[in-house]
Amino acid sequence: MVQLTRRKFLVASGCVAGGLTVLYTLGIRAAASAPTIIFPDERSGAAWIQIRPSGACHMYFPRQDMGQNANTGLAQIVAEELNILVADIHGEHPTTSDVPPLAVTAASMSLTAFSRPVALAAATLRESLRARAAAMLGEPLANILDDLGGFRTANGRKVGYCELVSGTGVVIEFDDNKSPLPLYTFDPNRQKKQIGHSVRPLDIQALVTGAPVYAADVQVEGVLYGRVVQPPVRNAHIRSLDTQGVMQTPGLVKLVHEGDFVGVVCKTPSAVDAAMAQINVTWNLEQPISQLAIDSLIDVDAEMMDGDLEHVLQDEAHRDTVDWDIDLRFEVQVQTHAQQEARAAIARFNGSTAAHELEIWTGTQDPWAIKRAAAVDAGLSQDDVVVYPQRLGGGFGGREYYEVERDAVRLARAVKRPVKVQWTRQDEFTASRCRPASTHRLRIAVDDEGNLSDWWYGYVSGHVALARERMAGWLLPIMRLGTDMGVVKGAIAPYAAPHQRVECTDVDLPIDLGVWRSLNGAPAVFAIESAMDELAIQRGEDSLQYRLAQMKGAHPRLQACFERVSKMSTKSPLPEGHNYGRGFAGGIFDGRCHVAISADVHIDVETQTIRVLHMCCAQDVGLAVNPGQLRAQIESNLVWSIGMALLERFEVADNAIQSSNFNDYEIPRMKDMPSLDIEIIDQPAIPPAGAGEVALIAGPPAIANAIRNACDFRAVKLPIAFDDITANLRA
Amino acid sequence: MKLNVNGVERQVATEWRDENLLTVLREQLGLTGSRFSCGIGECGACLVHVDGVPTNSCLMPVAAVADKAVLTIEGLVARDGTLHPLQQVWIDESVPQCGYCQSGQIMRALALLKENKEPTDDDINRAMSGVLCRCGTYDRIRKSIKRVALLMSREI
Repeated sequence: MVQLTRRKFLVASGCVAGGLTVLYTLGIRAAASAPTIIFPDERSGAAWIQIRPSGACHMYFPRQDMGQNANTGLAQIVAEELNILVADIHGEHPTTSDVPPLAVTAASMSLTAFSRPVALAAATLRESLRARAAAMLGEPLANILDDLGGFRTANGRKVGYCELVSGTGVVIEFDDNKSPLPLYTFDPNRQKKQIGHSVRPLDIQALVTGAPVYAADVQVEGVLYGRVVQPPVRNAHIRSLDTQGVMQTPGLVKLVHEGDFVGVVCKTPSAVDAAMAQINVTWNLEQPISQLAIDSLIDVDAEMMDGDLEHVLQDEAHRDTVDWDIDLRFEVQVQTHAQQEARAAIARFNGSTAAHELEIWTGTQDPWAIKRAAAVDAGLSQDDVVVYPQRLGGGFGGREYYEVERDAVRLARAVKRPVKVQWTRQDEFTASRCRPASTHRLRIAVDDEGNLSDWWYGYVSGHVALARERMAGWLLPIMRLGTDMGVVKGAIAPYAAPHQRVECTDVDLPIDLGVWRSLNGAPAVFAIESAMDELAIQRGEDSLQYRLAQMKGAHPRLQACFERVSKMSTKSPLPEGHNYGRGFAGGIFDGRCHVAISADVHIDVETQTIRVLHMCCAQDVGLAVNPGQLRAQIESNLVWSIGMALLERFEVADNAIQSSNFNDYEIPRMKDMPSLDIEIIDQPAIPPAGAGEVALIAGPPAIANAIRNACDFRAVKLPIAFDDITANLRA
Repeated sequence: MKLNVNGVERQVATEWRDENLLTVLREQLGLTGSRFSCGIGECGACLVHVDGVPTNSCLMPVAAVADKAVLTIEGLVARDGTLHPLQQVWIDESVPQCGYCQSGQIMRALALLKENKEPTDDDINRAMSGVLCRCGTYDRIRKSIKRVALLMSREI
């Protein structure tokens, strides 16, 4: 296979026709099927920012758009560095043939990991232009001052970028070890012009006018429609298959059956429905699928009785025979992504003389992983495959793998025609890689002064990052000797105790698992913040003040969030009457994101509902590049908190996933929406912390603590149902 | 068979007459702004107006709307390119995140405002709870509906 150099990529994609272009590094080649996980300091990838002869600024958007709107934030950084308006930046979405692999869009890392290389690249471009301006004007470099869209001199001479670039393309590459350029983005003393202001998504008009932006919207000449039977788990094999009625279906083009892969291709979508209804499959499973099986696998108490858990995450002078003041067991059940888009892909095989033998249109968090996997699956070289990434109608960690693309590729190959596959909602539920269930045992003891003396937190969770089928079978046992970065997320509490032990075990569950917003962050912080709230209540202390005191001066950014949210909550007093309550919770995600939340609830005896009335959230976001979009991400996390705490109930039984659609898996609706008060704490000297999944760690325990405050019911299991608390209610 | 979509007569090919309205709009007429999400009328991503009535097009056989007027999100923009006030306010309030549900949200909000010029929070809850948004843009949708209601009341 020919390895394209960065420069050749640019020539191939027609991007150096003219102007001045800067290259920067953003990714790396990786093995087929593995996610593209290496972030910018690896030097083998390239993206570009370019000033064209017209003076216009073009840039490749290095992130997949799925609602987080990270590319707009990166455009703001480019605009800040180049002294232009963000609205004047032309963003382009590269295909997998335009640039070497860009890292998977995940883990709320877009701004955290990309802000510096993007800022450096743009600053390199600016300083290169400044040198050209100095030469053109015959002035020393120091006399060339920034101006909107160009430069000026002290005596008033002006030169625009368009005058500094010619029709002949010039490419510069920077070495971030050698170029200590002034970065406007990270200068806390700079009065910023583009950063720190709310900028709407650059493509927002397309979203409100129904323009085609998602994979299923793509119109391909002569397309056929296909669908594949999704097994209840990915390692299942077909035990029996009945396709008798399929061949009589009007509109059927082909029934495709290769091993455990069974699907149909038809002329119209309704013919696909009819043909699929004629297929009956039963599956051989390695493990029975039932709630009982899940519950017994994640039983933390059974595991702790057998001795140490598998991974000890923290151990400081641990004592296991202490008179515990708090000893609670928490349980969090399976949840699924349920993004609004039913995922889709279109595959088209062209002749071997075409530029690309296989073309794939899809919305995915990792287009380069799809390209690698499709090449392997179709027996092609990677250069023969191109992926055209489309906007995602929600990702949330659930769209990183070669799945709906696989369906489309195999069906298209079988019929030698382009095929569009869109999963049904039931497919989405069945083939979801869920957030695992987990149970948590948290024991706390205090000394005579009421300070924490002992902290013992053990938990058992299904795998997250190291879930079965997420990587090659030979690699899995090796990787599992280490910790699962998803399972350990959120486990270390911000509270100080001289004796501490935190340990966990991760296990296979009988359903497929994977990455879900906040990973183990939300389950762990639910346990930690519920336990601390209970301890404070039992000691007759103010829950919020007690928690602040037990940080013992550490974590000032988290303390500031708690103090801010406390103040915010007093602005709207809790209604008088029975069964109203207010709760607080906070935490640190990934060591860099800090958040505190208050929730007000009302338990309505008449309608038998638990309703969240109002939520306040204070979040320290590091450098706030785009406050409006940070706020949007926080709003989203608060809504997800309601879903996780009160609504979302994933059913498994009878060797299958029973939840199949929005009528049996309730997600938040408009009627569930509380009023919101959100404040962002901006830290201009600290890189962006990422906000995509932070507030979700504190929302569910804030709601649980509010219910405790309303009716003395301590929730130890999520989701909380009205029936759980009836005994505690007063009419 | 003919369909009247956004004021324009459109021909539906014979082999597509057993499809639902959503499929025909998207795959035959190229109007992909209405979207497939649940297929059972639970989420509203496919919501269009049929003779002014908000309708989940994923459940509506195309043959049943042959003599009716269908309005989709693509029909809201004026001929001169001016956005409908709902679309403009949706931009001003920066409502969309992933955006997948927003055509349905706007079309449902349009139906609400046609029958109720001053919707209260409860009215909005009742009308809009059938259109799901997994990203959780509900707070901005609520604000936008109220803002458009105010705008429209001033225009009259």
